[in-house]
Amino acid sequence: MESINPLLSELKRVKQKLASYKIELHQARGYLQCILQNSEDMIFATEVSGMLISFSKSGEKVLGYSWEEVIGSQVKDLAKDPAAFEQFLNTSRQDGSSVQLDLAFQHKDGNTAYCNVSLINLTNREGLRIGTVGVCRDITLWKKIQDDLVRIDRLAEMGRIAAGVAHEINNPLAIINEASGWAATVVSDAKGIGSEDRQELEKATKEISAQTKRCRTITHQLLGFVRDSELSKTEFDVHELLNETISFLKPELKHSPIEINTRFMPGPLNMNSDPKLLEQVCVNLITNAIHAVREKHGDKGRIEIRTLKTDSEVEIHFEDNGIGIPQENRQNIFELFYTTKPPGKGTGLGLPICQNIARKVGGKITCQSNVGVGTTFTVHIPT
Amino acid sequence: MKNQPIIRILLVDDEETLLEYLSKRLLKMGHTVKAAFSGEQAIEVANREHFDVAIVDLKMPGIDGVETQKKLKEIQPFLQCIVLTGHGSTETALKSGQQDAFQYLLKPVNYDDLVAIIKKAYKKKSQTQEVKFKEEVERIYRSGLGAHGIKKAIAELNKIYGID
Ligand SMILES: Nc1ncnc2c1ncn2[C@@H]1O[C@H](COP(=O)(O)OP(=O)(O)O)[C@@H](O)[C@H]1O
Ligand SMILES: [Mg+2]
Repeated sequence: MESINPLLSELKRVKQKLASYKIELHQARGYLQCILQNSEDMIFATEVSGMLISFSKSGEKVLGYSWEEVIGSQVKDLAKDPAAFEQFLNTSRQDGSSVQLDLAFQHKDGNTAYCNVSLINLTNREGLRIGTVGVCRDITLWKKIQDDLVRIDRLAEMGRIAAGVAHEINNPLAIINEASGWAATVVSDAKGIGSEDRQELEKATKEISAQTKRCRTITHQLLGFVRDSELSKTEFDVHELLNETISFLKPELKHSPIEINTRFMPGPLNMNSDPKLLEQVCVNLITNAIHAVREKHGDKGRIEIRTLKTDSEVEIHFEDNGIGIPQENRQNIFELFYTTKPPGKGTGLGLPICQNIARKVGGKITCQSNVGVGTTFTVHIPT
Repeated sequence: MKNQPIIRILLVDDEETLLEYLSKRLLKMGHTVKAAFSGEQAIEVANREHFDVAIVDLKMPGIDGVETQKKLKEIQPFLQCIVLTGHGSTETALKSGQQDAFQYLLKPVNYDDLVAIIKKAYKKKSQTQEVKFKEEVERIYRSGLGAHGIKKAIAELNKIYGID
């Protein structure tokens, strides 16, 4: 009986220790849960094979998947490039840990999410590797901002180069213009040319003039795009501006029964903005609409222009029943030089110019389109 | 066409080929044309000869177009200047010399437009000049000079105004 006492006290000591370990374990688990639930970073754990055994709450936000959906699957399958991710995992396995920036993941909705990923080996008491822990910081937004900046920068640079070229081209163009004009005069006065030859020459000089005019349109449009003209605001009637623009474009519609209807708010629609710049926007949008309906109906298209005034802005809608813009093209249409029209018809400058101007007056342009049904561009101008 | 006024035109541009063809076309229409290949040259010519309208390129080595047209107007106050530019910065140009230039045009200009504007500029020149000339003549008559003095003063005026 004597010998049992030390054993009892030993047991008691162990029991106490166990209780305190339990408390510690409970606290540690609570701590871990708290991190996994609340961290902004996506945190996961895998076993040795790379199979996911833990996936934090924010993973749902970053990748769109819930915990239940991914547990048991391979972590590399979340990455955009699983093979590259596997390689990355291997490096971390050998080195104990590793870090990589800008790793692309596949979001559930199909988009790409970018993360800054740290991988750390998970080991047991004996120091044996039993898995991997990953901490992933979502940098998608940051990456997008960076990309946008690069794109804007490139656009501005492209604009500058294009303007430089346009400027240089204007001088030789002016010479071609005058030389062909002179040639036309000489031809019309020349004696001793057969009438057939005269006709040929007249046709040729006319063609040179026409093509020079075409180049001129492009260079002037380009220069207009980069020109940093200051706003000159005045009070004007939007309806009057639209009616003038339409009659200005009438020659474009000669011999073609394309209908342009207006559905304006009653009375004049006065506002204070830059009428010259807005006219340029209207000309471009109506021209595009004409092209779109012509392509679909031949000449039997319909364009409707509507105005609307809200508390904070004036809206001008340009609706056409033309070919429409396929979804996949919609993000490109405002890009400089983007055009789906054949050479000579499209310059890809119209919409970027419109957008530039809209921004300059503090507004914006929105677009709705159904392929085969039609398109509506809306100009929003703050009042 | 025959009773169109003969306009004395000064062309200023460092693009010699352009001036060659432009002056041929304007000459053919019956106008009097002189070409200068720089602002400096233009000023020199304007010191010797009277013009109604000057067509000046904005971007030239040496004295640029805005400066040139200002100087030309100092020499011949009634002269109307049309400034050409291959540049998109018409508006900036306009600001810097608005009070002086008759009009700014983007290169390449449409020839028919150019001719129309030259005519308009000529009209403005003759009108302002005529008004001023009449004022001056009246002033001379009122000044009480003798017949001989008046004749001399008017001859002097004719020289200044480039009227024969
Ligand atoms: N109203 C419209 N209907 C259909 N497509 C359009 C319309 N407006 C613009 N687009 C598309 O957007 C492209 C870019 O337009 P834009 O910048 O004006 O250049 P461009 O008209 O010279 O092609 C067009 O080539 C066309 O594909
Ligand atoms: Mg267009």
